[in-house]
Amino acid sequence: MKNSFDIRMLNPAEISLSRNKGGVLQGVIDGQTYEEIVVYRAFPFKHATSYISIRKAGGEELGIVHHIDELDEESAFELNKELQFRYFLPKVTRVDSVKNKSGLWLWELQTHLGTTKMAMRNLHEHLQYPGGGRIILTDLNGKRCEITEWQALDSHSRNQLKEVL
Amino acid sequence: MTIQANLPERFREQLTAEPLFSCRTDLHLDGNFGEQWIAVTDDMIFCWENDDRPKESISVLRIRDSRIAAGIGGGTLLVDTDEGPVALARYTATHTSMFGFAAKLIGALAKKAELPVVSERDLPRFCPTCGHPLGEGTGVCQFCLNKGQAAARVLHYAKPYKTQMATAAFLLILTTLIELVPPYLTKLIIDDVLQPKGTGSALLVFVLALGVTTVLMSVMQTIRGFIGIWVGSKVMGDIRNDIYGSLMRLSLAYFDKRQTSQFIGRVNSDAESMRQFLTDGVIYVGGELLRFIAICVIIFSLDWQLSLLALLPVPFMIIASFTILPKVGRRLYQQWRSIFRLNTLVGESMQGIRVVKAFGRENEEMSRYNGANLEVVRNNIKTEGLWQIIFPAFHLIAGVGTLLIWFYGGGKVLGNEIQLGVLMALVAYLGMLFGPLQWVSQMINWASNAIAAAHRIFEIMDTPSEVPDAAQPEPLGTIKGHVDFKGVTYGYEKHHPVLKDVNLRVEAGEMIGLVGHSGAGKSTFINLLCRFYDTDEGEILIDGIPIRQIGQSDLRRQIGVVLQETFLFDGSIADNIAYSKPDATPEEIMRAAKIANAHDFIVRLPDGYDTRVGERGHKLSGGEKQRVAIARAIIHDPRILILDEATASVDTETERQIQEAISRLIDGRTTFAIAHRLSTLRGADRLVVLDKGKIVEEGTHEQLLEKTDGVYRKLVDAQKEMSQIRGVGV
Repeated sequence: MKNSFDIRMLNPAEISLSRNKGGVLQGVIDGQTYEEIVVYRAFPFKHATSYISIRKAGGEELGIVHHIDELDEESAFELNKELQFRYFLPKVTRVDSVKNKSGLWLWELQTHLGTTKMAMRNLHEHLQYPGGGRIILTDLNGKRCEITEWQALDSHSRNQLKEVL
Repeated sequence: MTIQANLPERFREQLTAEPLFSCRTDLHLDGNFGEQWIAVTDDMIFCWENDDRPKESISVLRIRDSRIAAGIGGGTLLVDTDEGPVALARYTATHTSMFGFAAKLIGALAKKAELPVVSERDLPRFCPTCGHPLGEGTGVCQFCLNKGQAAARVLHYAKPYKTQMATAAFLLILTTLIELVPPYLTKLIIDDVLQPKGTGSALLVFVLALGVTTVLMSVMQTIRGFIGIWVGSKVMGDIRNDIYGSLMRLSLAYFDKRQTSQFIGRVNSDAESMRQFLTDGVIYVGGELLRFIAICVIIFSLDWQLSLLALLPVPFMIIASFTILPKVGRRLYQQWRSIFRLNTLVGESMQGIRVVKAFGRENEEMSRYNGANLEVVRNNIKTEGLWQIIFPAFHLIAGVGTLLIWFYGGGKVLGNEIQLGVLMALVAYLGMLFGPLQWVSQMINWASNAIAAAHRIFEIMDTPSEVPDAAQPEPLGTIKGHVDFKGVTYGYEKHHPVLKDVNLRVEAGEMIGLVGHSGAGKSTFINLLCRFYDTDEGEILIDGIPIRQIGQSDLRRQIGVVLQETFLFDGSIADNIAYSKPDATPEEIMRAAKIANAHDFIVRLPDGYDTRVGERGHKLSGGEKQRVAIARAIIHDPRILILDEATASVDTETERQIQEAISRLIDGRTTFAIAHRLSTLRGADRLVVLDKGKIVEEGTHEQLLEKTDGVYRKLVDAQKEMSQIRGVGV
């Protein structure tokens, strides 16, 4: 019997992921077919593309993918896509404005997935700094956006941010 | 019945039947921002993206169930069909509750079950007028509701003291006017006495007048100062009370998400900033404004051309003030946030000081602190540095006006157009005018500080409690103790339920043992019964009354709690026992202690019942504290009793004593007990086994043991095994 207390790292060869026609991630892992697969990032901030936990629909862990790039092309593509769905975290490409209006901080943002707005009650509870120039914004409803490196944004955005960081 | 956002007509007309439900999501299926519409009818589900033609349509007949896959910051609506699961729609966290409902509805349709009724909580919370998201639990939009500016709300606190404020204002006007007299007297002395070489007696009169005004001014300033301090202290007291009151009103969920040490600073220092603005600030601004007008009137009457020249810099100063004001506000907020982080850090490491020491991480903590500290220093320099620019700049601008007066005024005196006294008076008045104008910068500092503080304070005050009290609570009286859980679902994070559809009927006086692995939902069960949180679905009834309709103080009066972690307040043991009944007599206190097996050890203490149990009751052992807590519950005399791991942290002998105490305590009360040691629950009438948020087994100890494959049986076996291992070790 395998030791169930050990982390099982999946061999890239024994995992193959694809999408069914309903748009749901499915896969074959170690010869076994699963019609629905759920994926988790173990370190969503530090290692976004490594240490991906692959689980059955019920939540039971099948194993961990060491790095997405080690998988075959389709699997890697679908896994990336699925992670993007699950960790909905658009990357901010431009900060249009940050305003404080009657006690609410309003952000107008452009992200790689389109434009969006966020509203926050204050800044000290809604901004996270995981390290480096990264900022995670979370709004009142729990919607999140990410600024990967705020120093790398255009000067307009930087000016907007300078006031609030 | 239709529940729908207004489905666009072009989609609407494609439907053959009236939609049961329709909604809009904010993401496309590929994960990009964009609109997608969903409509659910009796037999079909449609999805549209940009095109008029449905992107997806599924017959309900093909669907087995529906669910949502909650992600981080969003989620996916899934339906399980015979050919495998299908992702119907994706959404951001804004729409989580709405899709939770959609999943339930589709699921019910597929299983031909009774359709769920949409409740207000399921609908997306947008302001109907401006489209901005609404805050949790409030039906009023932050933008559309004109709560008035923060400054106005701050002023509101001065209202009860309007007589004193009016007196202060009156004195202020007087002092301001009197302050204007000396320069004018100087002018008279120069022009009418010194220059014409007038009589000494005239000089004496003017000097006396000068003296009187100075004395008057001092007296009035003193009185005004006293009033200011009096009103200020009172106002600050009121503000602090209000903040603390708001904090007490907030639900546990609010504190779960936050570090509590931050509130100490908020209650105290933010109140102080507001007070400073209210008393010093308002009086100061009022006084300076008044003086500014008065001086303008006087100097214009002395010489309007020169005055115009002198006032040239004023507009620049005003413009400059208004441009830097918002910047200052933001910088101050930055500074506050860095201090906030520093405070949080200190609070955290102090609370965990044992862990820090045990792992020898003092140096790492130091460097963590150092990092945050550097940030504060940097922000401090940035913010304060701003003043070092602003102040001299204002000085410089003001100086230009004085220079102009000396140049042109001096010329006029030389040309005999005006008298020397007029020039001297003008210069003196200008000094008085620009002195305060430079202080405009100081005022900006005060005002921004106060407004920033006010925003933070009002944020607390405006946060609605997540467990609001019923508008018209049902009178409860003394209850019997029936408890009914009806389809209760709850998750600390919405739609990540910890309890799922829990149904339980408990008779009055029954003792229920809650059993399950950690994380099974036992504590949540109890938190809901205490109404620390409100259920997401279903309801809890006590004697047939939903607890949402019972006043919270009424409810808590009926519920007594003994927790694993005992918290004793600073005060004597007697005070702590009588916490819920401050008017308890010494006999009552002793009787309660006796029942709790605490009387003997308390009496043996040097200070007996008057023993001070300091912060967190450090002087007592775990078992002793526990028994004091039980005595506290006994004197509370609740109809419903909750024991949450009451004997987890004590040795066997103490456990026996506590057990004894508890068995006396539960007599005749409805009791819910959680315990890891299953032996503790032997006295329970019924055991309820929770697993992953669901009730999986129910029955007496013996009944449950008979199920060879049961969860309870496994738990018991595991504990037996553990105690055997221990037995070998001893």
